[in-house]
Amino acid sequence: MTEALWLIAAAMAALAGMSWLALTLQTHRKQVLPAELQQISIRRLKAFGWSFLLLSAVFCFQADHPSMAALVWVMLQAFAAMVVAMILSRRPVLLRFICPPFVAEKVLMVKV
Amino acid sequence: MFNSLRMSMGWVHTWMGLVLGFVLMICFFFGALSVFDREIDRWSIPDTRFKPQPMPSFDEVLKPVFFEKLKPDPVDMAATEKRVIGPLPNPETMELESLFAYTTHRDPVLRVGGEFGIPNEPKDATDDHLHVHGRGTVDPRTGEMLSDDALKIGSEWFYPMHFSLNLSWMMLGYWIVGLAALMMLAALVTGVIIHRKLFSEFFTFRPRKHVLRSSLDLHNVTGVVALPFHFFFAFTGLVIFASNVYLPVSHTTLEPLHEQHEVQEAARTGLPHEEAGVAAPIASVDSMVAEAKRRWAERDMAGEVGFLYMNHLGDENGYVSIYRAGSDRVALVGEGIHFKASTGEIIREDPPRSVVASIDEFLTGLHLQHFEHWLLRWLYVFGGLLGAICIATGFVLFVEKRKAKHAKTGSQGSRIVDAMAVTTVTGMVLAAVGMLVANRLLPADLADKGQWEQTAFWSVWGLAFLHAAWRSAPVAQARRNPAWREQAWVLAGLSLSAVVLNWTTTGDHLIKTLFTDTYWAVAGVDLSLIVTAVIGIYAARKLKAAELAKAQSNKGAKRRKQVNAYD
Repeated sequence: MTEALWLIAAAMAALAGMSWLALTLQTHRKQVLPAELQQISIRRLKAFGWSFLLLSAVFCFQADHPSMAALVWVMLQAFAAMVVAMILSRRPVLLRFICPPFVAEKVLMVKV
Repeated sequence: MFNSLRMSMGWVHTWMGLVLGFVLMICFFFGALSVFDREIDRWSIPDTRFKPQPMPSFDEVLKPVFFEKLKPDPVDMAATEKRVIGPLPNPETMELESLFAYTTHRDPVLRVGGEFGIPNEPKDATDDHLHVHGRGTVDPRTGEMLSDDALKIGSEWFYPMHFSLNLSWMMLGYWIVGLAALMMLAALVTGVIIHRKLFSEFFTFRPRKHVLRSSLDLHNVTGVVALPFHFFFAFTGLVIFASNVYLPVSHTTLEPLHEQHEVQEAARTGLPHEEAGVAAPIASVDSMVAEAKRRWAERDMAGEVGFLYMNHLGDENGYVSIYRAGSDRVALVGEGIHFKASTGEIIREDPPRSVVASIDEFLTGLHLQHFEHWLLRWLYVFGGLLGAICIATGFVLFVEKRKAKHAKTGSQGSRIVDAMAVTTVTGMVLAAVGMLVANRLLPADLADKGQWEQTAFWSVWGLAFLHAAWRSAPVAQARRNPAWREQAWVLAGLSLSAVVLNWTTTGDHLIKTLFTDTYWAVAGVDLSLIVTAVIGIYAARKLKAAELAKAQSNKGAKRRKQVNAYD
């Protein structure tokens, strides 16, 4: 059961990390956000994105034997990247719901 | 020949990808199905729908199986008879020289086999394969032999299809797949070189754009996000067969050394190479199994037996090798413990592996996935299907790029490629599902039922090809082949029929297998068939809508032309 929870956490972290990395690309920012971000926010997004991919690896290693965890992590990244690509192709605004706080603030400010 | 590296790499990527893409499509799709081969076996052989079982007691259950019920295989008897001088002895009197029993955490049934000794001399003096094989499937709960007439569609048809195309003549299938895997590696490298926006379009898929744009996007996304998966599977696939199929130097150039090495290894490990010629009884194998399990637990690797092997049966030099089922590791680590068969004393415990052996075991295990990790298994299916989508969109891209030009010049190139693409995309899935439908329609006691199922598989695929070729004429006029849509409808119909047939012939409907008497193996196959049907219906409707939209826009353009001419 604990293993399953760690793996769910790893999948969530991978999904968040990939989403934020996607938002560092201007094309996708335009699709998702109502206004352009400042350079500092983009850099923070990139740092958050990579950190969450790393966090996802930590969760995988908590769940499984290292040899298995490494494989699960690689495959989870592929899965998360594909899910993000599909969300961006169909309902890009959905990614707003998993923006980190400093990006979400921006979205709310524009709405207000 | 080309002005730039990118152009020359583009040529290699396009043409090698096209020619061998048809083979790679088979490898990826059937490879993805192979992840759940045992579950497909359960679906196709209803008698084996019970819980996975551990290795049963040898002394109580398996001993009578091996020494009373297992018989030489008639097909292997006939093949061996051609290679030896004089007639073979009566199969009833042949004695087992060695035996094995194999199971995994997903197998309710046990696979057993052995080698029966023969006294004949070989026609070719270098032929040292002087025995006849016997094999069977056992219900480990009772020790009953199950009929081997029933084809295990998952593990004996879909699984070998992905690495041998089930073409056994001169091992042709292995060689074609090996060449395709090698070209796949080249296609990955060339693909990365020619991709202009690898990072900036990492997440880009624009389904509403023109089909050329959207198929290129999907080709790139599915190729790039699963790049490590594609690379490792092509590479490890080659590694697995490198030493025994592609570069079998130990059985060709180095044959004398190979023999010598076997003798030296036997001396080093203490596992006798030859029989002593002195009869000896077999001690309790169950005690040996208990001892092996105790030793694994001591190493903090408690586990079940996955593979049991006995050699030189009934001889003083006989030994028993017990290997652990590697369900909790990626690497195929057996942690073998070997016992003297007559006394049960330990001859040897496999030592820790060298770095090279560990890497080899990891790479092999990564591909063969014996592990018990359902999430990773599904992620493997996902990776395999991404590979299939990547290749399928490559075909679409090839045709879409050229069909207008070919229509102008009267070339049939796009038409041929499109027909082949339909055959290897929808046609291949139709063949697989058609085989499952045939499995449920043919009576269980039909003689050679497995052969009939194989005939159904090839027939459906052949019909899909004929249909795709017959309906491909519009492609030569720069239009779309309606066979894509029509085969998608047939696929949806066949998939749903398979689910209904499974229910009517076995009583195992989804409410039962999911809720009242849960059996995930069968429920999983049924649910996958339903998903296939839904995708088929969705694709067919989308294609129809696109055809109608195209026809309307053509009509509009024609009318405008007429009006203009009238004015």
